[in-house]
Amino acid sequence: MTQTMEPSSLETSNGENLHRPLGVYTRPKGGSGWRDWVTTVDHKKIGILYGAAALLFFVIGGIEALLIRLQLATPDGTVLGADTYNQVYTMHGVTMIFLAAMPLAAAFANYLIPLQIGARDVAFPRLNAMSFWVFLAGGIFINLSWLLGGAPDGGWFAYAPNTGIVFSPSHGMDFYALGLQITGIASLVSGINLTVTIFNMRAPGMTLFKMPVFTWMMLVVQLLLVFAMPVIAVALFLLTFSRLFGATFFTPELGGDPLLWQHLFWIFGHPEVYILVLPAFGIISEVIPTFSRKPIFGYPFMVFSGIAIGFMGWGVWAHHMFVSGIGPVSVAAFSLSTMFIAVPTGVKILNWMATMWGGRIKFSAAMLFAIGVVSMFTIGGLSGVTHSVAPADTQQTDTYYIVAHFHYVIFGGIIFGLFSGFYFWWPKIFGHKLSEKMGKLNFWVMLVGFNLTFGPMHILGLQGMSRRIDTYSPGFGFETWNLVVTIGSFIIALSVLIFLINVITSARNARGLPPIGPDPWDARSLEWMTPNPTPVHNFDEIPIVESLDEFWHRKYGSDEDGKVVRVASAEDVCQDGSAEGIHLPSPSYWPLVFAIGLPFIGLGLIYSLWFCVFGGALALMGLYAWVFEPVDDPDVDHHEPQKEDVSD
Amino acid sequence: MTNQTHSAETSTGLSHNKLGMWVFLGSECLLFGSLISTYLLYRGRFADGPAPGDIFDIPFTSVSSFVLLMSSLTMVLALSALQRGDERNNRLWLLTTALLGAVFVGGQVYEFTTFLREGLGYTTSPFSSAFFTLTGFHGVHVSLGVIFLMSLYVSSARGNLHKERAETVELIGLYWHFVDIVWIFIFTVIYLVPSPTS
Amino acid sequence: MKPFSSYRTSWFYVSFLAFFLFFTGCSSDAELDTLEPQGPSAQSIDSLSNPIFIIAGIVLLLVVGGTIYMWRFRSDHSDEEFPTQIHGNLKLEILWTIIPGLILVGVAVFTLITLAEINSTEDNAMALSVEGETVSWEPEVVVVGQQWWWEYRYYLDGLEGVDLSDARNLPPADIVTSTQMVIPTGEEIELKILSRDVIHSHWIPALNGKKDAVPGRVHPWKIEADEPGVYFGQCTEFCGLSHSRMRMQAVAMEPVDFQNWINQQMQPASNPVSETAKRGQETFSSLCARCHVVNGLNDETSIGADLVSNAAPNLTHFMSRTTYAGGIFNLYEPDGSLDRSQLEAWLRNSPDEKPAYAQGRRGMPNMGLDEKQIDDIVAYLQTLGARPSSEIISATEVE
Repeated sequence: MTQTMEPSSLETSNGENLHRPLGVYTRPKGGSGWRDWVTTVDHKKIGILYGAAALLFFVIGGIEALLIRLQLATPDGTVLGADTYNQVYTMHGVTMIFLAAMPLAAAFANYLIPLQIGARDVAFPRLNAMSFWVFLAGGIFINLSWLLGGAPDGGWFAYAPNTGIVFSPSHGMDFYALGLQITGIASLVSGINLTVTIFNMRAPGMTLFKMPVFTWMMLVVQLLLVFAMPVIAVALFLLTFSRLFGATFFTPELGGDPLLWQHLFWIFGHPEVYILVLPAFGIISEVIPTFSRKPIFGYPFMVFSGIAIGFMGWGVWAHHMFVSGIGPVSVAAFSLSTMFIAVPTGVKILNWMATMWGGRIKFSAAMLFAIGVVSMFTIGGLSGVTHSVAPADTQQTDTYYIVAHFHYVIFGGIIFGLFSGFYFWWPKIFGHKLSEKMGKLNFWVMLVGFNLTFGPMHILGLQGMSRRIDTYSPGFGFETWNLVVTIGSFIIALSVLIFLINVITSARNARGLPPIGPDPWDARSLEWMTPNPTPVHNFDEIPIVESLDEFWHRKYGSDEDGKVVRVASAEDVCQDGSAEGIHLPSPSYWPLVFAIGLPFIGLGLIYSLWFCVFGGALALMGLYAWVFEPVDDPDVDHHEPQKEDVSD
Repeated sequence: MTNQTHSAETSTGLSHNKLGMWVFLGSECLLFGSLISTYLLYRGRFADGPAPGDIFDIPFTSVSSFVLLMSSLTMVLALSALQRGDERNNRLWLLTTALLGAVFVGGQVYEFTTFLREGLGYTTSPFSSAFFTLTGFHGVHVSLGVIFLMSLYVSSARGNLHKERAETVELIGLYWHFVDIVWIFIFTVIYLVPSPTS
Repeated sequence: MKPFSSYRTSWFYVSFLAFFLFFTGCSSDAELDTLEPQGPSAQSIDSLSNPIFIIAGIVLLLVVGGTIYMWRFRSDHSDEEFPTQIHGNLKLEILWTIIPGLILVGVAVFTLITLAEINSTEDNAMALSVEGETVSWEPEVVVVGQQWWWEYRYYLDGLEGVDLSDARNLPPADIVTSTQMVIPTGEEIELKILSRDVIHSHWIPALNGKKDAVPGRVHPWKIEADEPGVYFGQCTEFCGLSHSRMRMQAVAMEPVDFQNWINQQMQPASNPVSETAKRGQETFSSLCARCHVVNGLNDETSIGADLVSNAAPNLTHFMSRTTYAGGIFNLYEPDGSLDRSQLEAWLRNSPDEKPAYAQGRRGMPNMGLDEKQIDDIVAYLQTLGARPSSEIISATEVE
């Protein structure tokens, strides 16, 4: 049968090569324990790894937030000095955006996209593993700066020339620039990988407009990543070259213009906002229909508004720069474009509400978090409109009003959305539900804490409290609200703690019990056609898709009055995961080896070129071995007629 | 099994690798776009150092640009040779392409050292930093392309590059043409648009 | 279902509490409040944003109210019962695309009008008597930010021919002061905002929005105060270590008082009379004058150029200001007496009082003065400039 097989990738094109071990580069077997995790190329395991690492960084970023709030709880705070405060607030932003929110979205994307489109894995499984390890290496690299003379202290936005070598002489900003460069590689590669996956690997019959909204939003996100990451890469290169090699991009005395950094940063930075928020939109677009027992309202409008946001997101970046001196005409233009990006966002909000309208809503934990997104994100969106009004923004920008705004977007929109996703897909991933009771408690505590933390920041900002200040004097009217905010932040911490306890106790309670049956939520999309937890090969048989919400339509039909009637039980529709002999891509060490090399290159650029030599050698070895390792595990029987290739 | 054929075909009909390469090249457009914008902003800001109009040797760069453009032609010839199954000519044209690329990079090295002698260092002015960064990034792309081409050549010489693997050559070719096209933009922006003089 | 009913009340509770807090919170009187405009620009921004806050509030109530209303559609947990399956409605979609669009068009129109307003400039001029001559001054102040204080420069002959391109080497000005910008009431003041090191942002919320000070650029902006008073400000672009301690004030005076202020500021410092002050002057000349200028004592500094910003505050009329060290300390007690202990503490070890990067030539270093030297310098500083009016002193107090 080997001869009839179509080549599925370059290295396997010559059937004979499959069995010829190329040098020493044999591939690891599946194995078990930690070895399985570090060599895995399975998109589900990589998704779990992303989730676990990102949650760890989320906790670190959260601790940094609590430190910030302790410092600001009272006037003239002394918990952190000015220097430490600047490092902590910088790292809070960097950690939460690049090391928590983005990889959490990547966790969902990795786990769910192949399942939702009916595929066995992503297009490039080893690149996928590489993306994760490179992200982790970058995250660890940035945080190493705490131990090596100080973390970055120029803010996550890193405005030049304050981040130059004269004004930020510690190595912190070098770690920032090189570390984000490394995580940027991860995001870019992952973006390419998942774009190809979504375009190329859909199950038969799944046209683009039969894809779930989650997959659609993720497609927009991946394309945004593909086009936004190179822009921040250039900005970071300019910063790195200025700091390490004396380039004069941001040296005003020689004609360097600090606004160049701002333009490059925000041309990336604004699409980044949508990179962060669209995954959450996708998640709740799955959760709300499921628990409302209705299809998503206005599917094409949901999709097109997502695409519109993706496009318009490129035309609004200078609204971060209304007071930076870009001239009244630019200000006017960007003010208008920013206002009108509210329209597609509003369309989404109203469609979610229309989905719930007239439904049979089950207020599960996942649904509560999703409703939380609809209302809390709206607050962030509306305050966003108030500062799209450029004259008003000259009063609001760089005050706590902005801090309130983007936390309503990022926390109220994204974190609530991600938690909704946790509660919804936990049984899919781990085979047991998280406790609904604790989940609801988690939601209410988080909702109260969230509003206590970020609600008063609107007031503080309008009262004139600046951002990024490590302290404030008594007498400006800031005392009461800052104390409230600090109390609120600890309530949020409590809610996260409840979540973590829920994770542990739910796992403990599920121990020894058989995995939860199929379809615990009466869900709608393809991923629920596989057993819970998902078997390693995903689908026993790739389903042929006929409609949007394929899984639901296999369960339900309608009678002559148009009423919904069940036509098949979930057990009948779901696959049982018993298929054997399905060929899957083999694990590999080399993505990890390559990833370990990168931070050493970074250290080398900062400290001594010898690290570069070592890191470069490691990365090259990883790449070389990667290219020449056999694509298939020689032990797998290639003559199994039912096997299917997932190319690598 | 219905999926047997499915797994070999893709939803779009393009192979994963080719689609991936296209998406990657789309991303590269933004990389060079940002670098070119940086250069455009700074081309007139040469501080006390040499001005672009004073230092460029346009005939020299035109010749090396021509060499690079010709390499796109030889790249096409290499691919079509392999698609015909003509491995010998494939190797010949791969080698020619790599050589032409190397000549271009050599020209760039020569140009850089000349500029350095004439007082245009990397840190001299925003113009010099932007110039070296933009052309340097392009040079690195060409050099990587040369390495890819040489790897293909070696692979072919060892008898591992057959007609069925023409897609690999096609992918490297896509990359190579992209790098050439980017150079057309860079050459226009840096050298052909009249540069400020001091 | 008991838990569900508590959801409903919680929703109401949370959203209305938030609103209540929002509106009550904003009415308190805070020195930097953005909602209490005291000048025309701030006023036009305020009149633009208020209706927008109201529109946003209404939309918010509708959406949050709508989500609460969804409680009506709660499931009765009979699993097999489905609601009518509606997939969408084109008319609705068009409606809720166009209506927000139209509201935003309205907002956009008023935004553009206000934007034109706050970017326009008047050709106002006021008559000033400068050294016995009457000049027509178009009120302009050059605002220069550096780590971590603001300098204000007055060129009374106008800015024509004044080269502002290099903020670190500005042409000599008639008046140079720091941290407090003195302006006449009822006059539109044009600002030219510069920076000597990193990006700062100049913001007096009661008078106008903010504008960044970007090194290498000159940013025009304007402010105007209707009434005399002290208006507080704060640097709002993160500018490094002591960003939070980079504050400033606009002191608005009646034109008559402003003329007096000009007259005083144009005077160079005179030599001190008392012995301690004379000793203080000597110490000042040998140590402080390396960076600080006192007109009449030293018009040049010896190592000022070594500083990253090439500048330290001009102290010729130190006592005429009510605040120093980037606006974080008051020079006078509320009763009008000198806050001597704070000033001494500042001279004793300034990096301890305000984080700075003295070893990186940014901020005032610890000069290692002994107590006697400190006493002398305080005595000398007290001879520099005239004490401001008691109204200004008491207005500087934040309570």
